[in-house]
Formats: sequence, structure tokens, C-alpha cells
Amino acid sequence: MSRSHFWRNFARVAVLCVVASFVLAPMLATALGGFKSNAEIRMNAFALPQDWDVSFYGAILADPAFWRYLGNSLLISTGTVALTLLVGAAAAYVFAQIRFFGSRMLFSYMLLGLMFPFATAILPLFIKVRDIGLLDTYWAVILPQTAFGLSLAILLFRTFFEQLPKELFEAARIDGCGYVRFFFRITLPLSTPILATVGVFVFVQSWNNFLLPLVVLNSREAFTWPLGMMQFRGEYVTEWNRTLAFVTLTILPAIVFFLAAQKYIVAGLTGGAVKG
Amino acid sequence: MADVQLTGITKTFGAVTVIPDLNLSVPDGSFTVLVGPSGCGKSTLLRMIAGLESPTAGGIRIGGTDVTDAEPSDRGISMVFQSYALYPHMTVAQNIDFGLRLAKVPAAERAARVSEAARILSLEAYLDRKPGQLSGGQRQRVAIGRSIVRHPEVFLFDEPLSNLDAALRTQMRVELAQLHQSIGATMIYVTHDQVEAMTLADQIVVMKDGHIEQVGAPMELYDRPASEFVASFIGSPKMNLLPGRAIARDDVKIAGIRPEHLHIESEGQWRAVAKVVETLGADTIAYMDAEGLGEITVRLPGHIRLKAGERLALSPEAANLHLFGHDGRRMEHSA
Repeated sequence: MSRSHFWRNFARVAVLCVVASFVLAPMLATALGGFKSNAEIRMNAFALPQDWDVSFYGAILADPAFWRYLGNSLLISTGTVALTLLVGAAAAYVFAQIRFFGSRMLFSYMLLGLMFPFATAILPLFIKVRDIGLLDTYWAVILPQTAFGLSLAILLFRTFFEQLPKELFEAARIDGCGYVRFFFRITLPLSTPILATVGVFVFVQSWNNFLLPLVVLNSREAFTWPLGMMQFRGEYVTEWNRTLAFVTLTILPAIVFFLAAQKYIVAGLTGGAVKG
Repeated sequence: MADVQLTGITKTFGAVTVIPDLNLSVPDGSFTVLVGPSGCGKSTLLRMIAGLESPTAGGIRIGGTDVTDAEPSDRGISMVFQSYALYPHMTVAQNIDFGLRLAKVPAAERAARVSEAARILSLEAYLDRKPGQLSGGQRQRVAIGRSIVRHPEVFLFDEPLSNLDAALRTQMRVELAQLHQSIGATMIYVTHDQVEAMTLADQIVVMKDGHIEQVGAPMELYDRPASEFVASFIGSPKMNLLPGRAIARDDVKIAGIRPEHLHIESEGQWRAVAKVVETLGADTIAYMDAEGLGEITVRLPGHIRLKAGERLALSPEAANLHLFGHDGRRMEHSA
């Protein structure tokens, strides 16, 4: 290996390490913080703990409320993902496949949602959810999250669907396959990469959503984990070590979900459909 | 009976008329090839027969039934695409099987039909593979297999061999001819390759700008091209198209003579200089420059050795001269 080659690689690795540290350092501090005393967190946020105190983690894991929050979050997030993927893919399929009067205008209208900040809608949303009578239910979180996730999902799905070879649909039509069946039998199975990508986006957003559950959920039974985390904030003191341990444990499912979906995001399935 | 009748077919895309008022009859059991340069409307015509496009005006009848507005799957046709259009996430067997499953054919019969198709196309060893693991020729066989199992009355092929390399194309051409003989169904085949047209067809339809220039058996088109366009399109190397003065006639715009109908004679009426000589073994093809007439191609027997720069005198076989008038249509001999 030549000298200049070595230094170029070295520089590349160095830059990547710096970038990675921006992401990893706070996560590490969070995970380690769960082992420390409150005083130690204040003084030495990033250092290894002096004593590895596992009692905070243990207490949280032993608390049934923690599992309930986690269960609620999981239910709401998977519900949002399932609904967004189904509705978003179906809508995008129509935009990609069928030319009808006003389709471009309708599509642009859908995309307007991308420019609409969630927080500004929170009051009207609350009123609507209350009027429909969904307050304190999972649907109160799932439905608005789906609605707000749709514009991005439709945009990504449509681009992907349009790249599927047109002949596939024509061949299927000759085989006697209609639009609906083609969607479920051909389009969706060929779209796992984009389904996984959108799924991860939506899941993580829903998993970490704080504002909406805060407004529409009132009873502890329905709380998601970001709301549950608030129990450690007292009027005078915040128990940072418990909070950090709690955050570490609740972030794990999102990471696991991402790792599981990662290989589909990378893989493309269309190879061999047409001349390749 | 599954003849295909097209009457008064017109197709316009917006303001552009791709096919103006076309009539065509494809006899039952025939192998009809639609041939023409790209953009002549041959693929559009095929897609209208398939039902993937609907004609702006006119009617399509398959086996006596009017199918102008019928769904593709109800027409008793099947189609093989240039790009194969296999479902990439399904195995070969599932690909072949897909249409039958949609048609709710019983499982036992499905299996029988798939294995029959696999046997005909020598695909038995590949039934569990995905299309991505197959070569181009194998993929094309799967696409054909998908057509066969539906037992269609009419097979439609849209340039099925143009993605294959030359050797494979020749082989698949033979296989397609055999397939037609063994099945005996009507086949309509679109290509821009006149060699495929000549070798496969029992009826060739030459198209240009949405019009049919000529319909006929391959040798009929070869021996008696109806127009200047057909004359130049059918045959390889191309027919020599010389100005009328080459044979000293003013009423003739173009005098056509095929390269094999020219002979070297010391008394020949056309003097020419060889520019490029291709020695093919059986034949020698000489590209020459004829005095006052432009380029001329001559096919000579293989044993004749010719060098570039040599001067020769050529004379045409009078019986094989094709004369075209100022409207581009064929003139009967009156000399």
C-alpha cells in the first residue's frame, strides 16, 4: 500500500469516527448514566461509572408499569406502521398505475402534508379526537400519526412503484390478474425494500412521539414510554439515573427493529424481472 | 378455429395517428410475422390484438368472436414480451402456473400442464429456480412456457428474441418453428429483423408508417416486392435500387436487382469498381461503385477471387429486374 493511500484511508476513518461519535457519545452517556448516582452524572457525564450500580435498571425491569408502557408503545407503533404501509402503498399504487383526471393535483395535495408541522395541528387534532370520542384510546394516537406519515410514505412508494417494469402488469393482465390482485400478489412482494424503509421511518417516529400521546392520553393505563419516563421528574428533583436507564431500555426495541429491517432496505428484489 | 380479423383499425395517440384504417386477416394456424422499421406501428397493432391498447376505431375478431372491447384474459390469447416480464419473486414453476391459478384450474391439472410445458421447453431442471438465476435464453423459455400452459388459440410475440445473442437467437428461432409445428396454434410475431421474418413466417406483413405495404408468403415478397420499400426491406444483402436510366427507361423511377442476380460479363452493360470485398466462403459479396449509378452490391460464387480496386462489367438477369414507378409501386414488365 502506498503512503498517500494510507493517509487518505486514515483521514477517511478519522472523519467517520468523529461523525459516529456525535451519534454514539450521547447514547453511551445515556446507557452508562443508568449505572451512576445522580451526583456522578453531574460531574462525570461521559466517564465509566465508579461503581456499576445495577439497581436502577433492575428496579425499572421489575416494575410492571414499565412493561405496560412498552407494550402500549409497541401496539401503537406497529399499528401505525401497518396502517401507514397498507393505506400509503395502496394510494401510491393508484397514483403510479392509473391515470385519471386530477391525479396530479390530488397527489400534490397529498404532498402538502410534508410541509405541515405536527405541533401546529395539535389543538384542532385534540378537538377532533375528543369529538369523535377516541380520547384515551390507542386509535387517538394511531390515526393522526398515520395521517401525518402518509405524505412521505406515498411519495416514496410512488417513486418505487413507477420503477417496476410496466410489462409485469401487462403480462399479469393477460394472465387474468386485475389491479387489486396485482397489488397484493406482485407489487407488494416486490417492494420489500421500500416497505422496510418507510416502515422504519414511521416506527421510529411513532415510538419516539411525545407530544401527541401527551395530549390525547390521560390514564396511566394507556401511556406510551415517553410519557412513562415523566414519572421520574419530581417537582423539585429529577432522577436522572432512573430516567437514563429507562430511556436506554426503551430505545432497545427501536434499534432491534431497525437492525431487522436493515437488510431489506439494502436489498433490491427486482433483479431478473426484465433483461438483466 | 382461431383466425384473427382486423377491420378498419385506427389508432391515434392525441393528435398523432399511428395507424390509419388498417385491414388484416391472419388465417387459422398460420405463423404471421409483422415486420417493419421501428416506429411503424407493428407493436401497437400487436398490443391492440392483445387488448393492452384499445383501437380508436375499427374491430378485432378472434375465431369469429368480436373481442374489440374484451379484457386481454378473455380473448384466448397469450403474449411473450421482449423483456420476458417474468415475476422475479416467483419460481419458474410459479411463473408458469400463475395464470392457471388465477383461472382457478384444479391443482392436478395445473401440475400436469406445467410439467408438459417444462418438457416441451426442456425446463424440468429449473422449475424451482427464480428468474434471476436463469440465463437469457432460459428466461425466454419460461416466458414461452407461461404462454403455452394457458392453451391459447393465438400466441402473440413482441420481438421475443431481440434481447438474445446471435447464436442463441438462431437456436430459439428453430425452437419456435418447431413449437409452431407441434402446437399448430395461430402465432403472430412482431420483429424488425427481416431474417426472422423470412425464416419463421408463412405469412409476412410488411408495415411502414402504420400502413401495410404488402402481405404475402416470404418468397412471394422476395420475388415480387409490391413496392420500393418492401424491395429494400426484404432480403440480405439489400436489393440494389438503381435509377431508371440504368436500363434506359424514363417511366421507371427505380430499377431493382438483387445482388445474386448480377453477373460478371465482359460485355456487361454496367461498369463498376470493387471497393470492399467480403469473402464468406460459400459466397463472395462485393460492394462496388458503378459508373454513373452509385453503389451496387454483387453476390458472386465463393470461388471467385476479387480484389478491391478491380474493374468489372456487370449485367443483370432481365427476368429478375424489379421496376418501380414514380409512385414507388411495382410496375409489371412491359419491355
